[in-house]
Amino acid sequence: MRTANSEQRAASRRERHALASARPLAVGFAIAIAIAMSASAAQPVAAPVTVIRHATILTITKGTIPDGAVVIRGSKIDWVGPDASASLPAGARVIDATGKFVMPGIVDTHSHTAIEGGINEVSLPNTGMVRIADVLTNEDINVYRELAGGTTTALVLHGSANPIGGQSQIVKWKWGRPVSEWIVADAPRTIKFALGENPKSSNFRPPPGIPLQYPATRMGVEEVIRGAFVSARDYMAKWDEYNARKARGGNPIPPRKDLLMEEMADVLRGKVDVHAHCYREDEIMMLLNLGDEEGFKIRELQHVLEGYKVAKEIAAHGAGGGTFIDWWGFKAEAYDAIPYNVAMLVRAGVLTSVNSDSDELARRLNQDAAKAMKYGGLSEEEALKLCTINGARQLRLDHRIGSIEAGKDADLVIWTGHPLSTYSRVETTFIEGEVYFDRARDLANRQVLAQEKRDRLKKEAEEEAKSKPVKGANHETR
Amino acid sequence: MSRGRFALLFLLLLLLVSAPLWAAAPGVYAITGGTLHTASGPDVPNGVVLIRDGLIEAAGANVAIPADAMVIEVHGAHVYPGLIDAQTSVGFPSPPVTARRRGPRLQQPAAESLPETSPAFLATRNVKLTEADLDARRVTGVLTIITAPSFGIFNGQSAVLNLGSEPAESRIVKTPAALQISFNPRPSWTFPDSLMGVIADIRQTMLDAQQYSAAHAIYEKNPAGNRRPETDESLAALAPVLSREVPVVFVADSELMIRRAQAIAREFNLRMIVSGARQGYRMADDLRTVPVLVSVKWPAPPARREDREDQPLRVIRDRQLEPTTPAALAKSGAQFALVSGPGKAGDFIPGIRKAIDNGLSADEALRAVTIAPARIFGVDRQLGSLDRGKIANVVISDKPIFAKEAKVTRVFVDGREVRLPASEKHAGESPASPIDGAWSLTVRMPQGEVAISATLHAEDGRLTGNFSSEKGSGDIRGGSFDGTNVEFTLSMRGQQETESGDWLFHGSLQDSKLFGTVSTNLGTFQFSGSKGR
Repeated sequence: MRTANSEQRAASRRERHALASARPLAVGFAIAIAIAMSASAAQPVAAPVTVIRHATILTITKGTIPDGAVVIRGSKIDWVGPDASASLPAGARVIDATGKFVMPGIVDTHSHTAIEGGINEVSLPNTGMVRIADVLTNEDINVYRELAGGTTTALVLHGSANPIGGQSQIVKWKWGRPVSEWIVADAPRTIKFALGENPKSSNFRPPPGIPLQYPATRMGVEEVIRGAFVSARDYMAKWDEYNARKARGGNPIPPRKDLLMEEMADVLRGKVDVHAHCYREDEIMMLLNLGDEEGFKIRELQHVLEGYKVAKEIAAHGAGGGTFIDWWGFKAEAYDAIPYNVAMLVRAGVLTSVNSDSDELARRLNQDAAKAMKYGGLSEEEALKLCTINGARQLRLDHRIGSIEAGKDADLVIWTGHPLSTYSRVETTFIEGEVYFDRARDLANRQVLAQEKRDRLKKEAEEEAKSKPVKGANHETR
Repeated sequence: MSRGRFALLFLLLLLLVSAPLWAAAPGVYAITGGTLHTASGPDVPNGVVLIRDGLIEAAGANVAIPADAMVIEVHGAHVYPGLIDAQTSVGFPSPPVTARRRGPRLQQPAAESLPETSPAFLATRNVKLTEADLDARRVTGVLTIITAPSFGIFNGQSAVLNLGSEPAESRIVKTPAALQISFNPRPSWTFPDSLMGVIADIRQTMLDAQQYSAAHAIYEKNPAGNRRPETDESLAALAPVLSREVPVVFVADSELMIRRAQAIAREFNLRMIVSGARQGYRMADDLRTVPVLVSVKWPAPPARREDREDQPLRVIRDRQLEPTTPAALAKSGAQFALVSGPGKAGDFIPGIRKAIDNGLSADEALRAVTIAPARIFGVDRQLGSLDRGKIANVVISDKPIFAKEAKVTRVFVDGREVRLPASEKHAGESPASPIDGAWSLTVRMPQGEVAISATLHAEDGRLTGNFSSEKGSGDIRGGSFDGTNVEFTLSMRGQQETESGDWLFHGSLQDSKLFGTVSTNLGTFQFSGSKGR
């Protein structure tokens, strides 16, 4: 859904949050607190074995276990089952979760959180050479807030300002750790495509004096994407020719290694998953057909608000859909959106997730999943899958995340109540067995951090008073 | 023998006309009676520095004073090797105001005259040093600078320059000192206009340079049957960088930017130097293997208490811990120098003092502005200490040079004494500009007046300072002031999204009042301002 404008607004919101320059004190404090959490999270509570006991466990793939237990060993889920049959290893840290719910960490397949220095490289129609991985920042407070909403894994995407945006990155929100540790090393490579109004610059235009950028129509968007693959094939042929000449014992000059063309070629080779921002049925069909024509697959249609009109075709292509439940009408291309879209996609056999495109929605994707029960009547289990295992499958990480099963990553969230209820909140969020959010710890830390801030400001004021008296004294004596 | 005769003639001349002494050829000087801070060994009380023909002939306690030497008795004073400021953009225009994506288009007359930089851009060919630039450095004891433009991504090839009064060509000690790279996005809608675009651009350029070198090497051996590769000055200039002959200075202040620079250096096996590095305290151990130029332009707190309290702890903590970076690097054993970076000449010594207040010893500080930068840039056989055979860049200070009330009294560059400006005002600080001070600005918008309080300071045509208002606070950017016309940009963060963005002020100063227009996302409005809160 995100227009470039709203993306920039979000970016400026982030900046504002980060600086908290013109915000009330309370916000500044909250930020400071969360940031300092990062310092304490630098040594997350490490326990070789942790057992969560007496919780209702929503495994997602293997049903619900009332009065269940989960044994975490290191970074993995070691065992899950009824508490009565759990064996407690000696020295294990035990969390009594009586009355509480445990679910896997939420997977957000559309995030723009934690990007430094702009989420769009606007300057060209195809900027497939830029990499989100280069500009991740572990100082975006929204990461911590998303952990507080149970979100643990995200696909961090380039914006939608151009038909081909940039290389996106799958991360885990390991707040307080270096960004190099956020990157899910065995996750597939991904690239962002965008269709419709944003890439044709309807919603944000260059300042006066700078010419409008191609493309200006949906036809042009299609042509940019097709053109990229035509060029990529030429590029591949050039390298093939070079390699052949070399193999024959020649001394050819190697062609230029073009990072953009390398990426396009890898899409054709099936090494890079395409995540495409789209709204209207016509552009969805255009891209599916273009993929068939050029020989690449679309892994996930992002937003896909008119997906319900072409659900069968999407399912036939094998594309997934990642969408919002009840955002519509926010721009021309969103007028035909309906909240039943999710249920209709699911019923048509499309692998569907709810995702955020928003630092704010990313904190409560459980609630968006719950709405799918109201709009379209999905079952509780189907709804929970929307924000967990389905996203994991779209990211090809379902062997690691998205459900509570022995052998999977211990990305777990303890909730005070059922996560599909608006009254529930997150108590503790684990990623790979380590605690990255804990409500009790957060509350305790607030005092400490507020005190540190007071102390630091006081020290600063005292030092200034000390270094100024020369001038001040002179003024007074005059 | 002819040298002796020359010296005699020189002395004769000196007797006849004392005024043009400063412009005379390098002579023979014996600086006696002061405490020598050699930077390479222990201090020598009551030592002698003997200068001949532009070089240090001897320095130490028991140096015989030759008959042809002009004796300069500096009893009680302190004698230092000329300080080296290894990261400056002296002699180049200030970077342009960067047009923000959603902001109004910024008129940048200055930007249009900026040269386009590239890896082939040579600082020595483009630097324009004014007497004011030179004096502002000399009075702080800085007699050698390394300079390159601060604009562009590939800023060009920096040079080591002595700040003598000789023609420009004779100032050059080493060129190139390094290739300098900054992570500066271009204006919106010009590739690259984002940080990720900048990094992609650097990566592609390095790949192209690799391919360029390979292509030319293959072609030279096999011209028949291969198409002639094109010639490209920029890519050719990167060859000595890729072969590690020339180091790369990456300008990076934050830990994240330093780590990004390190990743690029690893990817292309570059010999890297980090410059800026204010958050180096967070990663002192990781910087042991990389030479670091720490910029001593430390962040200042906002003027108003309320603005400070609005800042998150992270910002406050960082501001207080950044000056501990030099001490942390000294402790970890990293090779580091202290530099002024984006700071002004007059901020250099106070910035060093702040590092000393935060745990760096005065000896370590001295090495960090003498022998350490000389080693980092491979000029330590010529510069950086009071040792025999080195270039005679010598500073005499009435007190230990980092002491608060210290005053540099005499300096020698390449063995010649250079006259320091007489006026106190030039002691690293510009005369107060009529725009300096606190201002109350009022912007008249249809929905009401917006009050902004700002602190402004003009120096060398640049306007700096900070501001606060209900719609945001921060540093002013892209400021200029020519005595009458003023221009600057404030980044506003309004409650409503449409109020956010850059506000560009154009105005003029008349009778201590400011008048002009503000361009915003919402349109252009009138503003006025008066001094005081």
